[in-house]
Amino acid sequence: MTSPDALAALAAMPGPAHFRLDGKRALIVAAESPVGAAIARGFAEAGAQIALAVLHPNEAVVSAKRLQRELEALGARSTVYVMDVTLGKNVQVTTRQIAKELGGIDVAVCASDLFLGKPIGKTSDSELQQVMAYNFNAHFFVARSASEEMRRNDPAGGRIVLLSHVLGERGLSNTAAYGAAHGATQQLVRSLSQELAPQGVTINGISTGWMDWMQDRLDERDDDAGRAIRFTLPRRAGSPDDVAPMALWLAGSGAGNVTGQVFHVDGGLTQHL
Amino acid sequence: MVLDSLRMDGKVAIVTGSGRGLGKAMAKALAAGGAQVVCAARTPEQINETVAEITADGGTAISVPTDVTSSEAVDALVAAAVARFGRLDVMIANAGGGGGPQNLEFWEYPDEAFESVVATNLKSAFFSDRAAARQFVAQGDGGVIVNVASGTAMRGNQQFAYPTAKGGVISLTKSAATMLAKHGIRVNAIVPGYINQRPPRDEQEAEVRRNRGVRVPIRRLGDWWELGPLALYLASDASRYVTGELFIIDGGGLAGGLAPVTFAPAHEIGAAS
Repeated sequence: MTSPDALAALAAMPGPAHFRLDGKRALIVAAESPVGAAIARGFAEAGAQIALAVLHPNEAVVSAKRLQRELEALGARSTVYVMDVTLGKNVQVTTRQIAKELGGIDVAVCASDLFLGKPIGKTSDSELQQVMAYNFNAHFFVARSASEEMRRNDPAGGRIVLLSHVLGERGLSNTAAYGAAHGATQQLVRSLSQELAPQGVTINGISTGWMDWMQDRLDERDDDAGRAIRFTLPRRAGSPDDVAPMALWLAGSGAGNVTGQVFHVDGGLTQHL
Repeated sequence: MVLDSLRMDGKVAIVTGSGRGLGKAMAKALAAGGAQVVCAARTPEQINETVAEITADGGTAISVPTDVTSSEAVDALVAAAVARFGRLDVMIANAGGGGGPQNLEFWEYPDEAFESVVATNLKSAFFSDRAAARQFVAQGDGGVIVNVASGTAMRGNQQFAYPTAKGGVISLTKSAATMLAKHGIRVNAIVPGYINQRPPRDEQEAEVRRNRGVRVPIRRLGDWWELGPLALYLASDASRYVTGELFIIDGGGLAGGLAPVTFAPAHEIGAAS
């Protein structure tokens, strides 16, 4: 909980200063994803110290190492970790190790995402399990382990940001498993906002729409995919850099009164008929 | 760069209702971000004070006394901003207020009271958005509108006219976002929960606030200054892919609301119920 003195000090800060993260320790899960990397760059620019957790050992580590050099150029220290987000125990142990090495965790972002587009009759048990694992379980595990570390901070507290997708709140053919998993993650935000608030932890979601890195669901040979993008009000797909500033706002000292919300960075996609 | 995208240098912003509370906090945050700010409200004394504070901090601002329930006055406000600074980039339609008779039965509510509350809270937002949009389209390079609604509009409650008017502001936001997108104009709404308008005057008032705060998930009421960073995010290019969206800032209230915040049912699977 933020003390009255701390609140008074925050009240005296000019608006832009609330987007600084100097001295903050941030964990980015799925840092190899385009949106995870963009958020890492934003946090680095804002002065945070960063743990880059990648979901797979191999190419992901290579891209994370490249990202690490970019962050270094921005003046930020970062370390790369491999985190198997399908296993709660692995998330817990890795998060603990990161917290020990950084001296705590103030901000945790989870960008785990795995798309599947299939009719329900063709969706196998194992596909459903994988979709649940990367789109829901991973977010649950990260929130569980990160909030535990944030409880140990002195004073207790922290910020959790989960990346989700608008298919978690709207229907679309072939997305039953994927949409249900993201719907679960969005409800996780609301449930945990209530449970974690007394320990000073806020949790919010960012729900993206048709984004330029989502070739998994926006095949450029499919005319309907192009039409889907034109459902957005700016008539363009979103980019990773469109998302990073919102993550920075939510991680910053100005957003302590914001919790349990899922905000759209979707070009107005969900807001019009 | 993320922090650069939050800069407001060279931009001109009108903030209505900026003589105190949330509007004043937003005006000061935009000015600290580099914007030239036009402070509007009915009575000149308070906006003059806001202008003096912004100027003392090294910012640029003018005051234009305006009755936002008059469409001619709002048009004149935009004209005054353009006359002084040459253009307009941001309209924050914040002016509004409660008022209206309390404790009336629904069927007793008089025409004049309803019309007055709708004029102060809904017509004022429409006049402000329309006048700004006209100017933005004439300039031809987009613009930003931020409306201020209220958490009371999201759920039924014992108030009546005010939430109804603010519900109109929410619909106005989504339709304006949809209609203005082709001109590069973004429209979003801030939806505040229980927010203190200023620091407590004495210990007694601080105590009253603490007692009300225990019913909010984060266990405190929000503070005026917390609207500043959000306004900066929404007014700047940092939110370039966000439109038609509601920004609920309420300490987690609307994410919950099914039971007292302390209620946490405990039950093991398989245990006797």
